[in-house]
Amino acid sequence: MPLNGEKPMNPNLSLALDELLKAGVDFILVGGLAAVVQGAPVTTMDVDIVHNQSPENIDKLLAFLDSVDAFYRRLDDKLIKPKRDELSGKGHALFTTRLGPIDVLAVIEEGRSYNDLLDYTVKIDFRGHTLRVLDLKMLIDLKKNSTDLKDKQRLPVLKATLRQLEEK
Amino acid sequence: MTKDRDDKIVNESGVDESLIAAFIRMSPEERLLANDRMVQTILELRDAFKRRKTDESEFKPGS
Repeated sequence: MPLNGEKPMNPNLSLALDELLKAGVDFILVGGLAAVVQGAPVTTMDVDIVHNQSPENIDKLLAFLDSVDAFYRRLDDKLIKPKRDELSGKGHALFTTRLGPIDVLAVIEEGRSYNDLLDYTVKIDFRGHTLRVLDLKMLIDLKKNSTDLKDKQRLPVLKATLRQLEEK
Repeated sequence: MTKDRDDKIVNESGVDESLIAAFIRMSPEERLLANDRMVQTILELRDAFKRRKTDESEFKPGS
């Protein structure tokens, strides 16, 4: 079902994660939802992932994106399906899907890729799968120098969450 | 907007520590579902606000 660049009316980000895992896509959950999973009381409207860029994983990612009716998020009404070369490159691919917005990121701050981030992840059991999430300490470190207003607002919440987790 | 809150609940950065404590008590899946519900609520409120503004623009005083 084409979404004409509009956000779906019933986004379901937890189902999007579930479907990504069922599809066998190798990824690290980053961004706001990574903070949510680890206990930060913030709200986020999209799923941000950093993916393993092996050809086999990009095959799985493309199949997943096709299954959720993914199109690039654009300001115009053009419907453009995910492209292999963009998922293999070093940029960010931002999609609208029937389960909500999904941002597929080759690298995040300081050019860090999937392989660079693996040592800074926590594994979480989620609906019978293992979900790999960027740990809160690294999320904070990466956002410390951000000039993004949303990041600046969230940083004190992330720091307080980390402190409470460490005190437990 | 300011709220009268216990200094022990709100830290020096203005963060509500009790909200964090409540969220930490939840499982990761419960937190994800809570976020989904919040997103739904936000979208419904935005939609209601958009409709309200449309209604207001159609309203002509004295008509």
